[in-house]
Amino acid sequence: MLKMFIESLKNLFSEPATLPGFGTEPPKGYRGLIVYNKEKCIFCTKCELVCPAGAIRFIYPEDGSRNLEYKYNPYLCIYCGECVRECPKEGALIQTDKMPEPATKEDNPNETWFEIEKLAEESKKKWQLALAKKRQEALKKAQQAKQGKKEDNQDKKN
Amino acid sequence: MGNKMIVPFGSQHVALPEPVRFVFETENEIITNVEVDVGYVHRGIEKACQTKIGYKQVAYVVPRICGLCSISHNMAYIIAIEKLLEFEAPKRAKYLRVLAHELDRIHSHLFAMAHVAEAAGYENLVMYLFRDRELVMECLELLTGNRVQFDYGCIGGVNRDLTPEVEKELRKKLKKLEERLFWFRDVYLNDYTLNLRWKGVGVIPKEMAEKYNAAGPVARGSGVRTDARAEFDALPYRELGFEMVVYEDGDIWARNMVRMDELLISMRMIWNVLDGLPEGNYKENVKGMPKGEAVCRWEAPRGELFYHVRGDGKQILTRMRVKTPTFSNIPVLKELFIGANYADVPAIIISFDPCLSCTAR
Repeated sequence: MLKMFIESLKNLFSEPATLPGFGTEPPKGYRGLIVYNKEKCIFCTKCELVCPAGAIRFIYPEDGSRNLEYKYNPYLCIYCGECVRECPKEGALIQTDKMPEPATKEDNPNETWFEIEKLAEESKKKWQLALAKKRQEALKKAQQAKQGKKEDNQDKKN
Repeated sequence: MGNKMIVPFGSQHVALPEPVRFVFETENEIITNVEVDVGYVHRGIEKACQTKIGYKQVAYVVPRICGLCSISHNMAYIIAIEKLLEFEAPKRAKYLRVLAHELDRIHSHLFAMAHVAEAAGYENLVMYLFRDRELVMECLELLTGNRVQFDYGCIGGVNRDLTPEVEKELRKKLKKLEERLFWFRDVYLNDYTLNLRWKGVGVIPKEMAEKYNAAGPVARGSGVRTDARAEFDALPYRELGFEMVVYEDGDIWARNMVRMDELLISMRMIWNVLDGLPEGNYKENVKGMPKGEAVCRWEAPRGELFYHVRGDGKQILTRMRVKTPTFSNIPVLKELFIGANYADVPAIIISFDPCLSCTAR
């Protein structure tokens, strides 16, 4: 009885165990949003390959160059940090301790992301075709140049 | 002659926040027959791991099977894969794995004990338990960076090191928690209401537990000496002072006391890890592709977790099989109900601490 009385008196003056309302901040070292830095990126697409959820997608340009567009879905991301660990260039991908803002109906995160996924796959196919064409042309040029050189050499020998 | 009645329990029920369905046939409130359905939350994770996802990424997918024992799934899978790759993790990584896993066990057991107390109508104790569980959750958040999905283990070691600042915070919080644990043990041992409600209810004799292959605290509560940690050589449990807790009574009270004493032993192991953490790398690079077959037995908070993986030297595994502890406990549960009073059903189910999202996957 006495114990109980002391406990209740203590509880009367101690702080509440529950947190007072909103505004709780994540602790140091919290695994939060992933931030991308285009200037440092070398476009190796390792992060895209390694992501378990498929939350990172690259949209390829049509001309076959290596100037890819980075797309990231914070609502699909599972925040494991595997992409950051896999990234060969330091500073291109960073894991911050911030949480994503909740998506609203106006944002329409699902539909927009499905479109991005489609675009990424189609653009990759086109890009690969363009790259193959480029390589073939380059090969042809090289062969022609070789032949030309051979002819030149033969001319010189003659 | 009494009235025959069919009473459904679940798939949504006030006493149990898990989607499991029981159909009881009762006669004068005594149960005569039971049917169980556990497949409400099937997500096809095993199939996805065999067809879509590479073996390194599977380590981040299997923790999503369950929230409470996510780290058990992660580590069991990782150790099975490390067996295939013939790799042994560095010593520091092993100690950190034990630390994270035992912290996870503490929060899972506190959660289970709180639910059992709620089924006994002891709401005050629930509040106390949940308040002190918050301390462990904060510890885990500091250590791994998230409250529920830890993603701590990876093939080759662990993903984060234990920094001195984090260690200081952990010690402060764990000290506070340990005092509370002793107080809880005192309550569970001596409280009049709890003893009255739990002693002699839902008794599993030792023969029944052995016959139906019970696992985890359920088996240990009925006097069966089974714990995967005792025969496990991939992590240094014996070095850290592991001891098996066995109670002979087999009722709800004994199951709870097994959990309570395991908390204290986990606490002792955590102190040993913090005091004697070896220096060295916490992660090493692993090369090669999984080829062959391997199994891993792992003591999750609810019992023995079993992983079987098979690979043929490619990125994607050809077979991955998970057997969860709740699944092995369902036959005992079914047998136990026949002849029991219907009023005891919620307390008995919750004392098994079922995890249906594990079972259905």
